[in-house]
Amino acid sequence: MMSLYAIQLECLISIWGILILLVDAFKPIPNKRTVGYLAAGFVAVALLYSFAMQPVPDTFFHGMFRLDPFALYFKRLFLLALAAVLLMAAEFSPRIESGVAEFYALLMFCAVGMLLIASVNDFILLFVSLELVTITFYVLASYLRRQIPSLEAGTKYLILGALSSGFTVYGIAYIFGTTGTTNFDKLAEILNSQTGPPASAFIFGMLLVLTGLGFKIASVPFQVWAPDVYQGAPTPVTAFLAVGSKAAGFALLLRVLYTGLLPVSLSWNALIAVLAGATLLYGNLGAIPQHNIKRLLGYSSIGHAGYMLMGVAAVNALGAGAVLFYLGQYAFTNLCAFLAIIAVTAATGSDEIPSFSGLGKRSPILGLALFLSMMSLAGIPPLSGFFGKFQLFAAVVQRAQTDSKYYVLAAIGAVAVVISLYFYLGVGRAIYLQEAEDATPIVVSKPMRFGLVVCMVAMIGIGIFQRPLVHASIMAAKVFSLH
Amino acid sequence: MTSAITLNDYLIVSGLLFALGIAGVIIRRNALVIYMALEMNLNAANLALIAFSKFNKLVEGQILVFFVIAIAAAEVAVGLAIIVALYRRKQTISVDQLTTMRL
Repeated sequence: MMSLYAIQLECLISIWGILILLVDAFKPIPNKRTVGYLAAGFVAVALLYSFAMQPVPDTFFHGMFRLDPFALYFKRLFLLALAAVLLMAAEFSPRIESGVAEFYALLMFCAVGMLLIASVNDFILLFVSLELVTITFYVLASYLRRQIPSLEAGTKYLILGALSSGFTVYGIAYIFGTTGTTNFDKLAEILNSQTGPPASAFIFGMLLVLTGLGFKIASVPFQVWAPDVYQGAPTPVTAFLAVGSKAAGFALLLRVLYTGLLPVSLSWNALIAVLAGATLLYGNLGAIPQHNIKRLLGYSSIGHAGYMLMGVAAVNALGAGAVLFYLGQYAFTNLCAFLAIIAVTAATGSDEIPSFSGLGKRSPILGLALFLSMMSLAGIPPLSGFFGKFQLFAAVVQRAQTDSKYYVLAAIGAVAVVISLYFYLGVGRAIYLQEAEDATPIVVSKPMRFGLVVCMVAMIGIGIFQRPLVHASIMAAKVFSLH
Repeated sequence: MTSAITLNDYLIVSGLLFALGIAGVIIRRNALVIYMALEMNLNAANLALIAFSKFNKLVEGQILVFFVIAIAAAEVAVGLAIIVALYRRKQTISVDQLTTMRL
């Protein structure tokens, strides 16, 4: 019975997804938009319900599954992302030729994979849930199957995704072969009891697993897919990639590095610090010449993976908490940006940045939402992105007290923030300072308006009253034995 | 028993298979062949997992192999569908002619 309690959210979302599929197969509802709003509303209820769930100290399913504060924090984050993405999908549905109900259902199955990822405590479950997410994303990215950009995005994601899952399994095979276990807790015990450096075959396996996870979070050198896939995929899918898939990658990275491999990762932080620096520079420099907003956000998501890797590389309690806080506020910020982009592209049919000019006059709420989210991404106070970056830098500086090389990482991060101001403000300039060619007002539907307001309030609210989210993220990061 | 097959022999074969898979992905330009090479990577991992399970007398590795086989089948179904859709639209599956989005 307790096992069922542990996976109730996953069951709930799967059943709801299957129901949507069945109802659409036997008694199709003609207005697909309503189905999407209903689905989003249901997920929002599930999100509220998840706050009534309590963390459990034991593991479930033979040590494979955890329901600790860390898992619950991520489950809430994924449900929030799913609700917003379903709302976007409902707004986007007129542009999908066929299979709208299946689109909703696939998004929900994808989210089930993410919910499982939040609780992973074993390499077998890690691989299965990771593939559940990745394979559904192949389908989702190429969903507009008559449009070449979407197919291109799907094919690229498919080839690189399958490559990274090959690396992951091969790495798992070597970790299993050298330690004889796939369970994170047992792995940590074995590594702690070992004296001397770990076997080179084990290091090989660990590097391969990190490669697979590096692909998920789009960190250098596995970032090449991100701009193309972000640009070509249907916009709700891009939003889900940016918010859900990225958070899932970081959830796995933190779990693997800080529980299973903690004894080893303490001596491997230099590698992650180098990757963080490279990712920061690549993402932020690459974004400068972009003129497509989805591609710009693709590069920006690489840059943000770099900021969060700074927190991972710090290997201290402050850093782990900062990463969780950053992911929380990043979800609201990015969802707000994508909601606004979907509303604008529905009216203009283009996602090039010039088509956003004069948005502030055409639709004050869309203009404000997009402007605020760009400013929050850039890290301008008092928006939530500023406090998120502040915490990450604090973690790196704390680490630098004992290892002065970390000052270099902090400096690279600061340079990246300055670079990023340029292109984020470029979007802001288009919104408020440039004149629109076609100045007809853009109509924003009521559910969309609601979603935008919630995200904007959250962005400003988290920026000013940081305490509740900081508290939640620190509680969640306490599951790791870091100092 | 001097000629018994050891764990290392299995690992060498699996490593070769994995290297062949990676080489195929890098060198070949046909999406279908690339896809075949990708499946080879998964099978290299399966071979390593089974060998480790057998020689360490543990069962977890073999359980994971079952999952990998099932997932690989799902991946093939989705992957071939995407490649077919791409061919219908572009009349080619060469990855050289894939890129249209730039900058």
